[in-house]
Amino acid sequence: MKTIRSIAGLTAVMLISGTLSAQSATVLYNERVVELEQTLPDATDLWVKPEDLTRVNDFVLKPEGACLDELCVPVLQDRDGAMFITRRGQAWFNVTELANKLQQAYVTDYNDGIWSFGTMPVTRQSFLRGGEAPDFELMGRDGELVRLSDFRGKKVLLLTWASW
Amino acid sequence: MPVWQSIYEELKSENFEIISVAQDTGGEEAAGYIYDDANVSYTAIIDVNHQISSIYNLVNVPSGVWIDEQGKIMRINEGTYAKEHMNGAWGTNDYVPIVRDWVKKGADSEYVWDRDKVRESIVQRTPEAERAQPAFRLGGYYFTNDNDEKAEQYWTMAQELDPTSWNYLRQDLLYEEGGSAGPEWRARREKIEGAGGNYYAPLEIENN
Repeated sequence: MKTIRSIAGLTAVMLISGTLSAQSATVLYNERVVELEQTLPDATDLWVKPEDLTRVNDFVLKPEGACLDELCVPVLQDRDGAMFITRRGQAWFNVTELANKLQQAYVTDYNDGIWSFGTMPVTRQSFLRGGEAPDFELMGRDGELVRLSDFRGKKVLLLTWASW
Repeated sequence: MPVWQSIYEELKSENFEIISVAQDTGGEEAAGYIYDDANVSYTAIIDVNHQISSIYNLVNVPSGVWIDEQGKIMRINEGTYAKEHMNGAWGTNDYVPIVRDWVKKGADSEYVWDRDKVRESIVQRTPEAERAQPAFRLGGYYFTNDNDEKAEQYWTMAQELDPTSWNYLRQDLLYEEGGSAGPEWRARREKIEGAGGNYYAPLEIENN
């Protein structure tokens, strides 16, 4: 009985803290695993603080919009909108809405608050339409970061395989 | 792997690099010894999230991509063995000679594809197949964090979203009874081949 009461009490505390304060989330994108301490609680979308946006997907929120290099997606910031809102003086940016706009796929485990984002189609046009090799950055076995672009000037044979 | 190492020794002085990428969620423990046993000196990566297959739209291993000095793809999406295995049961002796030809002659090699052929050879994904990749990534995250139940859930989701990916299927089967080349894999392969499909994208070496 005591156990049941304490579990009930714990659940109540978790519910209260969950509704009142922002909740944590984990974002997976390419090789990165980003832990966000605070996101805006929302049943379906991922709202992050604007300063967390770059950690999540390299975009930067500027007056003209959410920008990645030369690409900028317009974002109204003087009023609430689909991608940007202000609550109690805190601005929040909707990462999943940006993904929808960019046709970037994602899969979410809502229960655990883990958001997994796929490759961004906008960064892939030169590959899909032009046959340019997409750049990548992966850790080599020797501990050095391997970037395809570092091999410009050489012919590269890229081979995938697996132990299984 | 030892064959690629010898090819690399032969051609590395000609502005040539091999980047070998293991698609292995099991990481160093699963794939590292294979690199070690072959004493590879080319660029070796163990890609636990299968990122290279994701961004190059590859669905099977081994697969090869030729990338020229300016970063343009010259061939892509071919089942690229270095040699024949088991008296020709799988593998091929035809691929290494064309790699050598390309390294020596560059754009003048008859084995270099034109831009249209390169574009046509890039696998196009359905919107569902696009979602398979973050689903697989999520499964891998759970796998790494020892949550096998959720790993299985999202790996299964990835296979359902992209039934063309042998990588998603076999990486998952590795951790199940029967293994990555067991009865289920054989049944799937026979079904696709029986319908006229290919397990490996065929090597097209004569057609230029």
